Amino acid sequence: MSKIGHKRARAGYGFISPSLIFYSIFFIFPVAFSLIASFKRWNGLVPLFSAAWVGLDNYKWLFGNDLFVSSVINTVIYSVVTVIAGIFISLVLAVLINGSKFSGFWRLLFFLPAVTPAVAIGTIWGYLYRANNGLINQILGWFGIAPIRWLTDPKTALLSIIITAIWAGVGMQILIITASLQNIPQDYYDAAKIDGAGSFRIFWSITLPLLRPILLFLTATGMIGAWQVFDLPYIMGINAPAKSVMTVSWYVYETAFQSLRMGRASAGAFILFCIIFIANILVLRAFKKGGIEGYE
Amino acid sequence: MNSKSKRIIKEFFRYLIIIFAAFWMVLPFFWMVSASLMTPQEITSIPPKWIPEKPQWHNYIDVLKRVPIGKYYLNSLLVAGTATIGVILTSSLAGYAFAKLHFPGKKPVFQFILVTMMFPVFIFLIPNFFLMKTFGMLTNHLSLIVPFLVSGYGIFLLRQFIMSIPDELLDSARIDGASEFKIYRSIILPNIKPGLSALAITTFIGQWNNFLWPMIISSFSPNLMTVPVGIQRLALAFASAETQHLVLTGLVYQVVPMLIVFVYFQKNFIKGFVVSGFGNI
Repeated sequence: MSKIGHKRARAGYGFISPSLIFYSIFFIFPVAFSLIASFKRWNGLVPLFSAAWVGLDNYKWLFGNDLFVSSVINTVIYSVVTVIAGIFISLVLAVLINGSKFSGFWRLLFFLPAVTPAVAIGTIWGYLYRANNGLINQILGWFGIAPIRWLTDPKTALLSIIITAIWAGVGMQILIITASLQNIPQDYYDAAKIDGAGSFRIFWSITLPLLRPILLFLTATGMIGAWQVFDLPYIMGINAPAKSVMTVSWYVYETAFQSLRMGRASAGAFILFCIIFIANILVLRAFKKGGIEGYE
Repeated sequence: MNSKSKRIIKEFFRYLIIIFAAFWMVLPFFWMVSASLMTPQEITSIPPKWIPEKPQWHNYIDVLKRVPIGKYYLNSLLVAGTATIGVILTSSLAGYAFAKLHFPGKKPVFQFILVTMMFPVFIFLIPNFFLMKTFGMLTNHLSLIVPFLVSGYGIFLLRQFIMSIPDELLDSARIDGASEFKIYRSIILPNIKPGLSALAITTFIGQWNNFLWPMIISSFSPNLMTVPVGIQRLALAFASAETQHLVLTGLVYQVVPMLIVFVYFQKNFIKGFVVSGFGNI
């Protein structure tokens, strides 16, 4: 290696060293720590190394535990429905707004929830969802729909939280989809119009295929975020039966910091991690097929 | 049907859908502000009220007497601001190294950073809590900042931006004898401003909205409560029917200023966001 190349390599190590030091303390160590803890019975009050080794007991216990299994199912339902329905709604709105008057204003309006803490969003929606005196049931009543016990009925509680999550997420997705929409050359549309294509046909054969990479990007990043959801269910699910709304990160939090079962909580975290990891690999594979560069 | 009336019908449906969605977008914010001026009886009345009979402006003074909202704000600003500066620094340095410098082990290290993004937050709650305890940081703001100083997403994003800077620009600076750090400071940073502002804003918003970790920390050190933790405590503390109005007023205090700041800066932000690499990822 030349002298200059050598100098450059040294600079390279220098520039990544803050990140690498960080990752060894706050990534590699914690992952190893959690993994070891998941095989121990540990209450967090004694040092980890002196806690009893219990092998796979924590994992076995969790698989036999109704609440944990429900929390996994809730998390999967929440993630899939929120991300897919959210992207679909954002796509429709982004396309409609892109050709409308005051498009900047609409995009700004839809983005407001992104700068509002999820805790505040959950609290406000909690009021709107009230069964007797909430605005949502009142509005539905104008159309002759009987009051729904949104957040207290186990059948609708998770759905209500999902609706709120979609509401909170569309603004960001609209912005990202719009950025992509505006990159599509106008010539494509002009050519299609000359050929006599209707607007739905244009959307289906030009817009949608060209947006595929960004839609996959939103699916992948959206899923990574959604699997970890804590704030909205924790805030809004307070009056619903835990089994119908609890998510895995909520379960892990309760088990670790309320019941002080750190070993069991770690095992729960790793079980969901495995599910997430497999799901991510599947989405990333779709990514590569979608022709996204720089992500391999 | 002729093409003109067809177009009118199409436009009608376009605005119908947009306005329908906009109504639901505005409703929660509208009701939050409106209810913050109601009496507790109005908030719980059946059927619900949309606007207060007589605005109760004193709600806004009452809640300040009972909740240290200013303190929550200072904590949130300090934490989100410091973490954002940290992420910008570490991401741009590492992004430059991964985009433009060659060194053995570059590829596997970068792949490792991409993989870290897949690890869910809740794997780190327990070990990081004990790390903070060991470092003696549980009682000060460092516990809320240090675990968020590096972002794999940030490194990935800025690397994308830096890759689009032509190599010739860097090489000519090198011929003039500039050090790598000088290049980083005087060529790289000025050329990725849209990327830096997009990352700064997303990081700041993410930290501002962060809830789970600050809640865990502030259950041990209540003086570290941030805005979201404060909101949740407020909602629990004033849950009874007679103090409902204070919950809503507290919410307005904690939500609206951030909205105003955002609307003020939105031109920079939305533009930076839309013209930035997000469209091309």
